[in-house]
Amino acid sequence: MDIDGGHQPLCNEDGSVWAAFNGEIYNHAKLREDLRRRGHRFATNGDTEVLVHLYEEYGEAMVHALEGMFTFAIWDERARRLLLARDRFGEKPLFVHEHAGELLFASELTALLDVRPQLRELDADAIDAFFVFAYVPGPGTIVPGVRQLPPGHLLSWERDGAGVQERSWYSPPQRAVQRHESFASVAAEAKLLFEESVRTRLVADVPVGVFLSGGVDSTLVASVAARQSSQRLKTFTVGYDTGAVNETERARVVAARLGSEHHEVTLTQADVAARAPLVLSCLDQPLGDRAVLPLHALSEFARPRVTVALGGEGADELFGGYPRYRWLERARRVQATIPQAAISPLGGLLRHAARLPRAARASTRLAPTPVLERNVDWVTSERRHRREALYGPRLAGLDRGRVLRDVAARAGECNGGPAARWLMHLDQRHYLPDDVLVKTDRASMLVSLELRSVFLHAGLAELAGSLDTSLHLAGAGKALVHAMLGEGILPASRGGRYRKKAFRVPAAQWLRGPLAPAMRGQLEHGTIFEQGYFDRSAVGALVREHASSERDHSDQLWPILSLGLWADRFYGLDGS
Amino acid sequence: MASTAPSVRGRGKRPRLLILTPDFPPAPGGIQVVAHRLATGLTGFATSVVAPDVAGAARFDAQSGVRTRRVRGGGALRGGRNALLNAASLAHAASFRPDVTLSAHIVTSPAAAAIRATTRARTVQYFHAEEIGAKPRLAAFAANHADLSIAVSAYTAGLVAATGATPPRLEVIGNGTDVPSDATPLRAERPTILTIARIEERYKGHDALVRALALVLSKVPDAQWVVIGDGSLRPGLEQLAGSYGVAAATHFLGALDDEQRNVWLRRADVLAMPSRLPAGGFAGEGFGIAYLEAGAYGKPVVAGNVGGALDAVRDGETGLLVDPLDSLALAEAITTLLRDRERARRLGEAGRAWALQHAWPRVVERVEAVLLEQLDSAATSALS
Repeated sequence: MDIDGGHQPLCNEDGSVWAAFNGEIYNHAKLREDLRRRGHRFATNGDTEVLVHLYEEYGEAMVHALEGMFTFAIWDERARRLLLARDRFGEKPLFVHEHAGELLFASELTALLDVRPQLRELDADAIDAFFVFAYVPGPGTIVPGVRQLPPGHLLSWERDGAGVQERSWYSPPQRAVQRHESFASVAAEAKLLFEESVRTRLVADVPVGVFLSGGVDSTLVASVAARQSSQRLKTFTVGYDTGAVNETERARVVAARLGSEHHEVTLTQADVAARAPLVLSCLDQPLGDRAVLPLHALSEFARPRVTVALGGEGADELFGGYPRYRWLERARRVQATIPQAAISPLGGLLRHAARLPRAARASTRLAPTPVLERNVDWVTSERRHRREALYGPRLAGLDRGRVLRDVAARAGECNGGPAARWLMHLDQRHYLPDDVLVKTDRASMLVSLELRSVFLHAGLAELAGSLDTSLHLAGAGKALVHAMLGEGILPASRGGRYRKKAFRVPAAQWLRGPLAPAMRGQLEHGTIFEQGYFDRSAVGALVREHASSERDHSDQLWPILSLGLWADRFYGLDGS
Repeated sequence: MASTAPSVRGRGKRPRLLILTPDFPPAPGGIQVVAHRLATGLTGFATSVVAPDVAGAARFDAQSGVRTRRVRGGGALRGGRNALLNAASLAHAASFRPDVTLSAHIVTSPAAAAIRATTRARTVQYFHAEEIGAKPRLAAFAANHADLSIAVSAYTAGLVAATGATPPRLEVIGNGTDVPSDATPLRAERPTILTIARIEERYKGHDALVRALALVLSKVPDAQWVVIGDGSLRPGLEQLAGSYGVAAATHFLGALDDEQRNVWLRRADVLAMPSRLPAGGFAGEGFGIAYLEAGAYGKPVVAGNVGGALDAVRDGETGLLVDPLDSLALAEAITTLLRDRERARRLGEAGRAWALQHAWPRVVERVEAVLLEQLDSAATSALS
């Protein structure tokens, strides 16, 4: 048996319980101490063995004792039963394949494909969904026959038994309740839980840092971590040598106010040219979130200095950080109060002026579109409407309505509550696990850095879910996060609070500069064009128009480039 | 008036005690109980109470035997209720002419200070906890303008000190409990965890119990959690119980009368109330009378290892104190007491002995002693 606990699977004293594990259990030291007190004997220092003994003690209820990001498998030899579990928010992935009474599972899709090479083909519907969302929505995957265990779920399988059973073990409440408590006392409660979350995540016998963008989320993380850390906190920021957007100055001011040891890295255009093919092709599934590149660069830069970093992922989805929540709520009210006869001509006028981005957006808001479709169009830059023009013959015959139907099924019923609440809930189940957390997990794990999110804490998420949406969206949004931070740390911004811009990554410039050769390479011999998923001439025209700086088509080109680079590696055509 | 007190005692008449309180039965709550037990128990004094009018007050007052002046109205304006209460207290003091004024809550301290300044009656100020965090400046004023401050726990005394106040004298006198005439255990159908608290403040830790319950049920599958008390956070807790899959084992009974509540105290195996310290200057649990009440029924308790519970519960003797945010520790403590009947019995017995030491008559005795000391020192200073 491996003394450090690195080798898996591990078993208990008599070999009746086996465990394999991926992730981090933040409270593992405490669990180990509790289990020892109860008479369990440990042979290793690793997290995996904690799971073995915890299962012996609590059975599948053990998941409720775990604080962390994880997926694990437990084999109970006596019961001839397998238990698979995924963490509350989906920070770690778990892929599953069932066929003829056989169950295969892995924390990486490629591991499953290595065992079953016949599965190595692409699912056209998943590619369609990927192009629309720029990520592969769970629980499906890019490969037919392989699915993901959803966040906060358990799966059990019994040999010769009832087969596979799946159930949710964690879903924060989503209905607001009338409260009598003051905003100040809610903010105090949130702060208490937030501090508890930082404390749990700082328990590491290794140096810890914070990824600091200068926005309110990471500033709150850094300010609490600076107070709790026994050593001087290290903070890290990434900037660019192109584009109008640079967060480094704000982060520098915050770091100075907190007294942290601050480090900056610049993601240069030359670096992007080398990094993009490497990162985008190495992901388990394609990912069109452009922020994966700076996050990877930042993780790589931080890794020699720290092995654990704290981040602010999840704050926008849980605490109402995206401006569209407010805007779409307003749009729904406008629709409900102004007669459609008046709205339609105005929307038509604006559509004529739609070359101006603001007019296009206003036109969308006024159109009589259901709020869910509006939301999808907003977050996807209306890519679903571009499919006809860009898809090749392999995607031509698809049911184009399926993407919206699937997202509607994930969203569930609005139940007459505020649209903003419904959309926040959808983002927590869709965008957060399938994009944000995939990005953070893969970008950091590619360089063996542990990125721990402070906001993804059970109590904090439950508190956020139980509050009126209006409370979250007060002011410029994320009112509770601002209240937890207080005044005096964030630099003042012109025109009030600092407003996060939707895209801070200079992807348009990169596609005209360092990534233009990769895009050209795709058009010339990329798998997705060779196999007829995308139309070469239509995408080529888009590339040329973008290159000439006439229009910014990065919203469409980035997902295509990401998918193309990934698919070449998937089919082994990238020379690897 | 300074010479009145000793002369009153000297003439054999009982000194006059005026109790000012924003919280008084039949309204439910811990401060209400404290004020009522003092009003009825301080038999060495002729007592009069000034308190707000609430539903059912007339009937309650008719039966309680306490001379109570009820103050109506003021609720429409922010602070209006307390302003009227203070004004009525001053007016009542002019006719009642107290020897001692006991302000049961800091919101009545302005009236107590004014009575002290105009009549030179001795003033005693009670401190609980939450109000100090909510109004630290008023708390400091109250402590500085009272001859004697009484804190219900060492934790509360620390909160008073943290306001920067320099009270002339500060005593810690813990809260008490009623000793039941019949504490015979009743047999519950299932192992029962009981929580008694209003569901209005998050610091009481109901949510932590929901999380812990999922783990408890893995060890004691037939356990049930009975929640007595009501409040605006209840629907949220019911949702939470649903999302943790423990709704079937959870029973929210709402606010019950004393008789029904006492039946559950006799039935339960353990009382759990893991109060935590809120952040942001809010103070949380000052003492936790419910812990003593459970002890009075011979029941062990599980409480948070912070705040007033440190005075109300003897860790390992009358109950188990755990990190109130640690659901696993909570679950382990509860499971231990549900499965190890002998240990639960021992803790319960010690809890009963502990509760008897804190029976209201004994607590009131201590309060009466310090009030009489105040009168004596007033007399001494008047004579010197």
